[in-house]
Amino acid sequence: MGTSLIVLGGLGFIFAALLAFLNNKLKVDEDPDVARVLAVLPGINCGACGFSGCKAYAQKVVEERNIFNGCLPGGGVVNDKVSCIIGLDAGQNSDIRKIAVCKCMAGDINKRKSNNYSGPLTCSAANITAGAIDCVFGCIGYGDCVKACPVNAISVKDGRVNIDADKCLGCGICVKSCPRELFSIIERRAESVYVGCNNKDSALNVKKVCSAGCIGCGICQKMAPGAFKVENMLSCYDQSYKGDESKIEIAKSKCPTKCIYDIV
Amino acid sequence: MKELLVIFISTILINNLVLAYFLGICPFLGVSGKLASSFGMGMAVTFVMTLSTTICWLIYNLLLVPFNLYFLQYVVFILVIASLVQMVEMFVRKFSPMLYNALGIYLPLITTNCAILGAALFMVSRNYGFIESVVFGFSGGLGFSLVLLIMAGIREDLKFCDVPRVFRGAPITLITAGLLAMVFLAFTGLLNG
Repeated sequence: MGTSLIVLGGLGFIFAALLAFLNNKLKVDEDPDVARVLAVLPGINCGACGFSGCKAYAQKVVEERNIFNGCLPGGGVVNDKVSCIIGLDAGQNSDIRKIAVCKCMAGDINKRKSNNYSGPLTCSAANITAGAIDCVFGCIGYGDCVKACPVNAISVKDGRVNIDADKCLGCGICVKSCPRELFSIIERRAESVYVGCNNKDSALNVKKVCSAGCIGCGICQKMAPGAFKVENMLSCYDQSYKGDESKIEIAKSKCPTKCIYDIV
Repeated sequence: MKELLVIFISTILINNLVLAYFLGICPFLGVSGKLASSFGMGMAVTFVMTLSTTICWLIYNLLLVPFNLYFLQYVVFILVIASLVQMVEMFVRKFSPMLYNALGIYLPLITTNCAILGAALFMVSRNYGFIESVVFGFSGGLGFSLVLLIMAGIREDLKFCDVPRVFRGAPITLITAGLLAMVFLAFTGLLNG
């Protein structure tokens, strides 16, 4: 009885003392700002900011002095407070809103389907068999993104992805959900457009599989120099373009396959 | 040397802690969703199991046996494992932030992993010597990692399968685990023949 008390108590005491000592000795210095940012954040670890949780977000915010997409559940008030802590002007970041766009806007009538796919109806499954649609770059349309979207902003109608601009928070969860990486998050500006095609094949091969694809003809590049760039037979709109907006309108109307779309 | 090799192989394949003794089922089902995280968990368990069997052997043979306190082994082993994991976590956090990011979230889980305690108790009941205990702890962790990785690989591919609605989620995972245990049963005669 006596020895067992001494042995167990002694062991417990030794380990407790060791832990206390090491805890003191091996303390990791954390930036006090991290704790302050963390105190302001809602702490629900939703992941909508694109980081694994509030703590990871707070660490990154303090490290890079940037609030990225901001905290969505917290909204403007929290983002202003966080900006204050890390020394950014309050309000500077909270009015930048972002939105997701899908780089394939072809509908069922545009996309050729020569196989009869009968596997599981998810994009990730259809993508590994390459069976659902002939185009290997475009939207499969089974709606993995619809299931992933936390605010139900995405719907698929006639094989085409629709993003509800009022609901979309620009959180970027859809980007990860799409096996063909069709989504991108861009800044929400009224004049912004995007190219609704992801097919990097030559014009002939694009035409074989889709009637609404970018054929890389380069007309948009000629009509609005600086705004569009054709690379790998695919046109891309430069989101930082600050030039003449009327040129973009001309390029849009001259596009032979009409695959340049407004963001809202 | 031959003895150690027998312990090594039999602990990994024949007497696998997870599939033969059904210890550590919680992380086996909980952390086997993705290959990357199951690798992290496997490495963390291997590390802690090797260390804990070593320390437990020392405490058992140098402290409990001389004082005739065999009945204290459970309490003492739990005490040792819990504090050991805490210390390892502190060391890793201080000296290797990269490793901490990779293993950090799994270390507290290991504190209550029954496979670790199981390994320590088996070591006592099988009367292993010091070197044998170290090898046993190490190979037990490797066996755990192996099974965890196999399971994670299967579950990653399961996502693409058209599983009947009633079996989706936990049921198919448990069925997979059962089939895997039966597969490992085939290793039973490995060292006899």
